[in-house]
Amino acid sequence: MLKKWFRPFEKIDLKQKMTIIGIWIALVLGYWFYASLGSKHLFPTPAQVWEGMQSLYNEGLVVHIGSSLGLCLQAAVISLLISLSIVYLSPLPALKPVAVFFSRLRYLPLTGITFYLTMLVSGARTMQVWVLVVFMSLYFITSLLAVLKDIPADEINHARSLKCSRWEILWEVIIKGRLDYVLDVLRQNLAIIWMMLVTVESILVAAGGLGVLIKNSDKFANHGRIVALQIIILLIGLLLDWILHVIRKGLFRYSTY
Amino acid sequence: MAAKYEQKDTILHVENLSIVYGEKVIISNIGFTEKNTVRPDKPQGQTIAFLGRSGRGKSTLFRALTGLEEPTTGMVLIPDFEKPIVNGQQPAKKVQEGDVGFVDQKYTLFRHKTIYQSLKYALRNVKISSEEKDEKIITYLKDWGLQTCRNQYPNELSGGQRQRTAILEQLLSSGLYMVLDEPFSGLDVGNIQNVKDAFRLINDSHELNTIIFSTHDIELAVELADSIYVLGYLKNDDGTLTQTGTILKHFDLKEMGLAWQHEFTADHLDITKQIKQIMLAS
Ligand SMILES: Nc1ncnc2c1ncn2[C@@H]1O[C@H](COP(=O)(O)OP(=O)(O)OP(=O)(O)O)[C@@H](O)[C@H]1O
Ligand SMILES: [Mg+2]
Repeated sequence: MLKKWFRPFEKIDLKQKMTIIGIWIALVLGYWFYASLGSKHLFPTPAQVWEGMQSLYNEGLVVHIGSSLGLCLQAAVISLLISLSIVYLSPLPALKPVAVFFSRLRYLPLTGITFYLTMLVSGARTMQVWVLVVFMSLYFITSLLAVLKDIPADEINHARSLKCSRWEILWEVIIKGRLDYVLDVLRQNLAIIWMMLVTVESILVAAGGLGVLIKNSDKFANHGRIVALQIIILLIGLLLDWILHVIRKGLFRYSTY
Repeated sequence: MAAKYEQKDTILHVENLSIVYGEKVIISNIGFTEKNTVRPDKPQGQTIAFLGRSGRGKSTLFRALTGLEEPTTGMVLIPDFEKPIVNGQQPAKKVQEGDVGFVDQKYTLFRHKTIYQSLKYALRNVKISSEEKDEKIITYLKDWGLQTCRNQYPNELSGGQRQRTAILEQLLSSGLYMVLDEPFSGLDVGNIQNVKDAFRLINDSHELNTIIFSTHDIELAVELADSIYVLGYLKNDDGTLTQTGTILKHFDLKEMGLAWQHEFTADHLDITKQIKQIMLAS
């Protein structure tokens, strides 16, 4: 059995997979316990983290999570609408440069954009939303452009030979035919968005959110709390990732990647 | 026994066609003319086969014939049936995308449509009721052995099933002309018969119907086609091959009295051998 585990491309059954994952988790936890034993430890002990978790819960963790998710959802919807319109029109030669330009803008630093946004919008919450929208859109546009670029010429030619007009091709091959990729683009960029979200929340303290909690914990240098929060943020991110994956698989049977 | 026939108006005219990708001349100097064949006793369409070894430019030529690719030089002309006849001649026009049905070598389909949805889509511009469309689709699905997988997406189909769907799509949507790139590869004996039957049906149903196909099965081409073109590389003076595809030889099986025979005779075998020789040397 062990020999199998160390052979490239070997297929193993679910039980063995679970065993391997279990061993890794045990190793990580074991190391954690061991590393936090002494008096001068780098990591907080599991007990401290558990305490941190409880104090967070008492401070309204659930409400903060709700606030963060709400912000994330709002920004994601707006920015998807914007990015999709720009990208779906990019096959028109006249509008192509617009999409490419926005995709390049992702190299701009966050501060530059927030500076101009503060002059345009008022209200911290609106500001949070738009900072996120701008950032998300730049990444969405980049990824969606890559999806479009990867559509084989044969697929376009197939539609052309079926007497599709150019607009019908856009509708059938690009828009309908790649709808599942849009969900995946969202999922692929989720990590960066989720990270940005917490940062934006901690810079622009408005309606609470996980970012605010991080900032507060930072102030008191409470290690247990910080690690507890990190774990929570990580788990929520993974949960969102998994939900998007399930939705894509459920809605699009032909989506096999 | 040679069948009686007459050659009427031009249905396809290719002139000095070449396609260049970057620096590489893929095909050049391709020119041929096909005319409407008329038989006294029955409607007779045209079946034209292109043979040639791998990489000689069959698929490239087909993309030009279907208007999917703009040739670097030369042009492809077909009759413009929308214009009135002038001096007993149908005016010609350059072929455009959508004029000619095309089944490509990879049997590309809409990835987000099931077989049934694809066929329904192929019929979207046909002016018959939805029930009639359904009936038509069901008949085809049964005849072509696709009824059990009618609700499957392309990624859930075998290569042969995809291929038959691609051919059916074009059967339902295209007009008089249909180009098929290697329609017989990857099919079992029964499916090959399906495609052959479809060819015959198309050829028998309208005198202007024209099928153009490529294949690596020389005997099949000789059996089915009434006109065969062999594509290949020409020889340089020093005996090496150029790397540009062109038409090396044309066999007019009508003229030879070998077209529409429904059986493979010694004469057919002879042509097969000749073609094999030409291909091996190219
Ligand atoms: N995009 C491209 N850029 C450069 N060369 C290309 C391109 N596409 C095809 N070719 C070349 O053009 C030549 C002809 O290709 P084509 O697909 O037309 O051959 P074919 O006769 O259909 O071959 P097969 O029988 O294997 O399908 C090949 O040598 C190929 O390498
Ligand atoms: Mg080919």
